[in-house]
Amino acid sequence: MTMQALVQVLASGLLTGLIYGLVAVGLSLIFGLMDVVNFAHGEFLMLAMYLTFGLVVVSGLDPIVLMPLVAALMFVLGGTVYLGVVRFAMRAKANQGMVQIFATFGLAILLQGVAQYLFTPDYRSLQVSWLGGKTLDLGGVYLPWPQVFGALVSLAAFGGLYLLMTRTDFGRALEATREDQGAVALVGIDRNRIFALGWGLGAALVGLAGAVLTVFYYIHPGVGGAFALIAYVTVALGGFGSVFGALAAGLIVGLVEAATTLVLPPSLKSVGVYALYLLVVLVRPQGLFGRL
Amino acid sequence: MLRRREILAAGALALAGLGSQRAAAADEVVVGVLYALSGASAQNGVDARRAFETALDVINASHDLDLPAAKGAGLEGLGGAKIRLVIADHQGDPQKGRAEAERLITQDKVIAIVGAYQSSVSATVSAVCERYGVPFVCADSSSPSLSRRNLKYFFRPAANDEMFSAAMFDFMDGLRKQGKAIDSVALFYEDTIYGIDSSNVQRKLANERGYRIAADVKYKSNSPSLTAEVQALKSAGADVLLPTCYTNDAILLTKTMGELGYKPKAIIAQAAGFSEKSVYDAVGDKLQGLISRASFSLDLAAKRPSVGIVNEMFKKRADRDLNDNTARQFTAMLVLADALNRAGSTDGAKLRAALAATDIPGTRTIMPWKKVVFDAGGQNPDATPVLIQYVGTQFVTVFPESAAVAPPIWPMNA
Repeated sequence: MTMQALVQVLASGLLTGLIYGLVAVGLSLIFGLMDVVNFAHGEFLMLAMYLTFGLVVVSGLDPIVLMPLVAALMFVLGGTVYLGVVRFAMRAKANQGMVQIFATFGLAILLQGVAQYLFTPDYRSLQVSWLGGKTLDLGGVYLPWPQVFGALVSLAAFGGLYLLMTRTDFGRALEATREDQGAVALVGIDRNRIFALGWGLGAALVGLAGAVLTVFYYIHPGVGGAFALIAYVTVALGGFGSVFGALAAGLIVGLVEAATTLVLPPSLKSVGVYALYLLVVLVRPQGLFGRL
Repeated sequence: MLRRREILAAGALALAGLGSQRAAAADEVVVGVLYALSGASAQNGVDARRAFETALDVINASHDLDLPAAKGAGLEGLGGAKIRLVIADHQGDPQKGRAEAERLITQDKVIAIVGAYQSSVSATVSAVCERYGVPFVCADSSSPSLSRRNLKYFFRPAANDEMFSAAMFDFMDGLRKQGKAIDSVALFYEDTIYGIDSSNVQRKLANERGYRIAADVKYKSNSPSLTAEVQALKSAGADVLLPTCYTNDAILLTKTMGELGYKPKAIIAQAAGFSEKSVYDAVGDKLQGLISRASFSLDLAAKRPSVGIVNEMFKKRADRDLNDNTARQFTAMLVLADALNRAGSTDGAKLRAALAATDIPGTRTIMPWKKVVFDAGGQNPDATPVLIQYVGTQFVTVFPESAAVAPPIWPMNA
């Protein structure tokens, strides 16, 4: 393999990694906030992709323009899922963890089924986008514009999230709720409201990822599966609940996956990622940036 | 409920010594159909269902078509009995396929199973059928190893990937003789039995016939990204790319090739994904000139009227033309109906014997085949494969010469 090919594989890994980070961060945020693993995370991604697709078909606008609208609608969906399902699952007196797992898992299967019923299992693909099919050629190293754009959106989203969490009252309330759910009630913070907003924010972030993916990936009721598995290992590697751990871990997963293909057959490319995760578990079971 | 009552009534008749249960219930023949109706390949299952419904229309109603079991309503060998389907979902998972096959046989009492698209699933389903002595008509799984297991109840009317790949290499040999420079091929295949068997055959043929294998890439199906894989193909720069993929990977492969600025000089695909409408809806502009192996080509309708009529019947139901997969599914059901007519019985062993004795001339099918017969392993050796090329918005048959309607455009990307 030539130097050029090596740079190509690593650059692609980097871009993919940033998108993995964006897919995973919502999952990590929700977990950090309230110790609930959302097993319907991949289905949120799938819904965001169909939402983008539908809005593009109806409005004729570019998916890039529609991205904020998709994020806003996903915010509403995320909040609704908390208020409509998860809130009740958290009221279980016994085996609360299991109830939450089955509630979100059930939701995942329901959403997939509904999507297949409404949209058919045919593979969809967006034809029209300013970025679609355009590629940046850096001396023989090709960076597809949709992925470059996706990586930039990811960085911007993490930047925005950082500002939100450090500079706003909502961010501070979020942080406080995550530190001590009981104590915040004493200072007049409505826990349910923060949780609902947290779910909304998590869904909006995966909504952004979905909108970005629509430009270069296919859309299918089962599309969430391929990304959800990577999102879980990203969150575990970065540290459960660590928002910026998700960014770092996303990058690591993307790069390790790409690098693995240089030494092993591509059919084994996820082996490197899971081997690395197992190594991290030995040294830091809470994940790279996780707090104990 | 009605059915259960019928069976009870039939059972009572049998007790009274007035006839067997099967004979009494013969106004309806229950056939199991096993496909992925959810998961990544669900659309194949949905289309398969439409193909079988079309076949049932041909069999159960009377049609003036020169096809087996078309004339007269129902199965004449079984007193006009109609076929009823029980459709089950294997989700593309061999273990679910095994369990569903058991259920179809033991609970729904199906007299035969037709399936199952994924070769990995057909492998487990056919093993269950063998154990129960229920024929399995393998419509559309193409792994050569399936018909090499000495199963008595396995029947595959269509070609396998050994025959398909041989056609590809015959085609390339022909181009070489015309002076076209084809030195190297790149293998790109998914990591289940379908991809692995296909690559084994292609590797062997390439070595035997003097084609250098410039790249040999086994990839993980349903991957979020194929960038590194496509980079390997691009670096190798083979004269012909030979992909073996299902639908989703076919779309992602084509998109990624476009993004990385890789235009293979030619592509000859092992069909599957590359037969599907959604692939050409998504990335058809990048696949102009792609050649795929096929069991079916719509341009045969010009020579054989039944092809066009059946296609219209299917199109009304599925809103798309028959393709490599749906044409094989349709034909598999007709082959089964033909055997049921000759067997005059739904007994497993008798039906098996009738299937083994099948001899349908190609002109009485919608396929470009010589005929439908079965060898000892249940393979039809006379299912002549064709190669079709994507030109404009449709496929044109380019090989073999006997079926070709146009010369191939070669190379695809000069």
